[in-house]
Amino acid sequence: MRKLALVLATAIAVVAPPAIAATVGQPAPDFSAPDLSGKPVKLSDFRGKFVVLEWTNPECPYVRRHYDSGNMPSLQKEVAAKDVVWVAVNSSSPSSGEFTTPENMAKWLAAKGAAPKATLIDQDGKVGRLYGARTTPHMYVIDPQGKLVYAGAIDDKRWGNAAETKSAKNHVRAALGEAMAGKPVSVSATSPYGCSVKY
Amino acid sequence: MSRVLVLVALALCTALAPVAATPVRTPHVEAELIAERTAVVPGEPLTVVLRLAIIPGWHTYWRNPGDSGEPTRLEWRLPAGFRAGEIEWPVPERLPAGPLMNFGYKGEALHLVRIDAPTELEIGTPVTLAAKAWWLVCEVKCLPEDAELSITLPVAARSDADPRGAGPIAAARARLPAPAGTLNDWTLTAGAAPDGVALRLLPPSGVAVPEARFFPFEQGKIEPAASQRLVVVEGGYDLKLARAAQPVGAFERVAGVLVLSPPGDPAPRAFTIDVPVVAGTSAAPAAGLGVFAALVAAFVGGLILNLMPCVLPVLAIKVLGFAHHADRRAGRRHGLLYAAGVLASFWTLAGVLLALRAAGAGLGWGFQLQSPVAVAALALLFFALALNLSGVFEFGNLLPARLAAWSARKPALDWFLTGVLAVLIAAPCTAPFMGAALGFALTADTVTALGVFTALGVGMALPYLALAWFPAWLVHVPKPGPWMVRLKQALAFPLYATVVWLAWVLGRQAGLDAVVWLLAAAVIAAIAAWLAGLPGSRGPLARGAIALLVVAAIAIAAFPRDATAPPLAADGVWQPYSTQTLAAFTASGKPVFVDFTADWCVTCQVNKKLVLARGEMLNAFRVRGVQLVRADWTRRDPEIAQALARIGRSGVPAYVLYKPGRAPLVLPEILTRERVIEALDG
Repeated sequence: MRKLALVLATAIAVVAPPAIAATVGQPAPDFSAPDLSGKPVKLSDFRGKFVVLEWTNPECPYVRRHYDSGNMPSLQKEVAAKDVVWVAVNSSSPSSGEFTTPENMAKWLAAKGAAPKATLIDQDGKVGRLYGARTTPHMYVIDPQGKLVYAGAIDDKRWGNAAETKSAKNHVRAALGEAMAGKPVSVSATSPYGCSVKY
Repeated sequence: MSRVLVLVALALCTALAPVAATPVRTPHVEAELIAERTAVVPGEPLTVVLRLAIIPGWHTYWRNPGDSGEPTRLEWRLPAGFRAGEIEWPVPERLPAGPLMNFGYKGEALHLVRIDAPTELEIGTPVTLAAKAWWLVCEVKCLPEDAELSITLPVAARSDADPRGAGPIAAARARLPAPAGTLNDWTLTAGAAPDGVALRLLPPSGVAVPEARFFPFEQGKIEPAASQRLVVVEGGYDLKLARAAQPVGAFERVAGVLVLSPPGDPAPRAFTIDVPVVAGTSAAPAAGLGVFAALVAAFVGGLILNLMPCVLPVLAIKVLGFAHHADRRAGRRHGLLYAAGVLASFWTLAGVLLALRAAGAGLGWGFQLQSPVAVAALALLFFALALNLSGVFEFGNLLPARLAAWSARKPALDWFLTGVLAVLIAAPCTAPFMGAALGFALTADTVTALGVFTALGVGMALPYLALAWFPAWLVHVPKPGPWMVRLKQALAFPLYATVVWLAWVLGRQAGLDAVVWLLAAAVIAAIAAWLAGLPGSRGPLARGAIALLVVAAIAIAAFPRDATAPPLAADGVWQPYSTQTLAAFTASGKPVFVDFTADWCVTCQVNKKLVLARGEMLNAFRVRGVQLVRADWTRRDPEIAQALARIGRSGVPAYVLYKPGRAPLVLPEILTRERVIEALDG
């Protein structure tokens, strides 16, 4: 009879829907990944604050455009002043040929004047898959209640050089501005652009 | 050297030749602009192609790059009066990148652009068409690259084909999707499904679609990496498109490129399509029995299950368990666990059935009532189930007695399993109901089928759940007794009636002979049932004989007989449907009323008897000069299936009024004479 129960449980498990990737308007799934010092960081550690997730990869020319132009570091500093937690995630796998070690990641961030609160090494791509991250950069904004309020591109200039990046409409800044003012986020989902995440 | 010669020739001759632009080499790409003709002719368009020759292993992107990447783009610098069109994109490839998917080109990417030249141009002067091209080229690594490109052509009164341009331009054109509207003898519709959109393809009859892929123009609509399943449906195919995991904007149109040939075809069959997504067109109540009616019937059936002679006595003992609970909360919990057990059993059954059906559909079996074989088989099944209810024979208990009496040590599990057991123990009595539900589920869509099984389970579990909540009601529970056997026997008669209806449908589909064969099969089935009901039917000889008879009955009932089918009746008033008939009638300038019907559709028959066949209705039609067309879908007919799809329906009944100069008007499924006249005069 225990066998029967097992068979039934299996049948129900098979019928049950699989875990769904992060969806705008829904609770952002919790995760845990090591930061550059190897210490585990959990999303739920930051409950009560706005959180920005940024998928990054120093090997990607799109990411370099946003760091070399100072665009990403200045936004990181700007929102840190408003008590927003910025978490950068690198989901490149060691076998992809674009893996960056924690030491090199720290050096690169320092050289660019970047200031994320935490940088996570997600080398098995678990966090990336959980959030359905496709590109670097791919941006997510989570409100203090833990709800995902924005997912998509960093700005509306998919092509664009450093000068154009400065004049672009930054979707993350706009989403944070509206959400922090207690307004609904008017542009809450866009198509991300950039290099593919190197899972 | 040749360039010098050409320049010399350019300077000397009036028959000017183009200056070949030197390709620009970047680390991964060789880029050049190539013109189709040797000269610019004032006022005539000229086709130019941007050719990117990409090093092996790397790729560039289509207009929608998929999960990541960037489409190639061109920024033209043209002389005054010239205008460049948008890039015309050849069919891309699917390029997987880990769990992600890109759409783009490997080896060679060709981008056609039409350049319109002004009418006022001085013959003999050279013209330079210049553009800056940007592209993202990726292997695993990605690099943005760009190049300044130009081509200089003479202005001439006439031009010749440039042999250099012929190859790449012909190759690019061969890979362009055909423009929208090319598939006009097809019917394309798109229905919203829970997990995305089903793109329904109804090709002209006789056209098979071995495979199909869809490339969306926009990002954030479909999930690029999701597999696109092509499923056979009535009259065509459904291409299942999964909704993007992170959608951007509403998924309102299936706009993009539909490819109907295998990947890598140098001249693919590809079409630009733009189909509006309609909510819920995928449901097909094939049996003509409304979904709501089916759910109610299943629920009532579930309730009746509790009164069956093999269920009530067993459960009566369990029900007393409720009374033993001093703790009401525990009693309620046990009631819920019991209900969960019943539902889990029904869902498992439904899951197995739907999986079998899906496997069958994959093999091309149709379970629709349009197939005479399916109708005959169902009639025979229902007849056997009715014999069982009449008490001619009993189904053996599925469970050994000691298992039925088993009780788990954990009370929670015990109650759950009591629910499971209730379904299994009840099998000898529930089989007829289950059989009927199975028969229905085979012909209904997945959601309806699941709903029917859920309703059955809820119906069966509800009385006990109610008793668990309100133990005081126990006094009203009827005592088991001989009345249960009589109830069971009485319930056989609706099933016999169903057999009569199915026999009539079969007769309409396949003629009198088919009905006689079915009746003969029923006699043989009756003999088998009678043998099975005799004492001593457990012997191997008796069992062998029964098995033989059952096989014989099925063989006779299901004997293929489509070939002997008589033409469906056309009376003097209603013309049989065909696309030509409808086209001719609508062209005549008179209103046309089309009755989409089928003999197995009960609602259709009711509408016909109460409204359409009435003298007053026919008079009203005659007075207004309405031409009457009947599309009889009793048998499989792809032409009618397509006509239905065109009005956004997938089943009958459907009533359509075509009035000259107006869009076709689809009338409600439940007709009244007033409603039809109102539509005629409106």
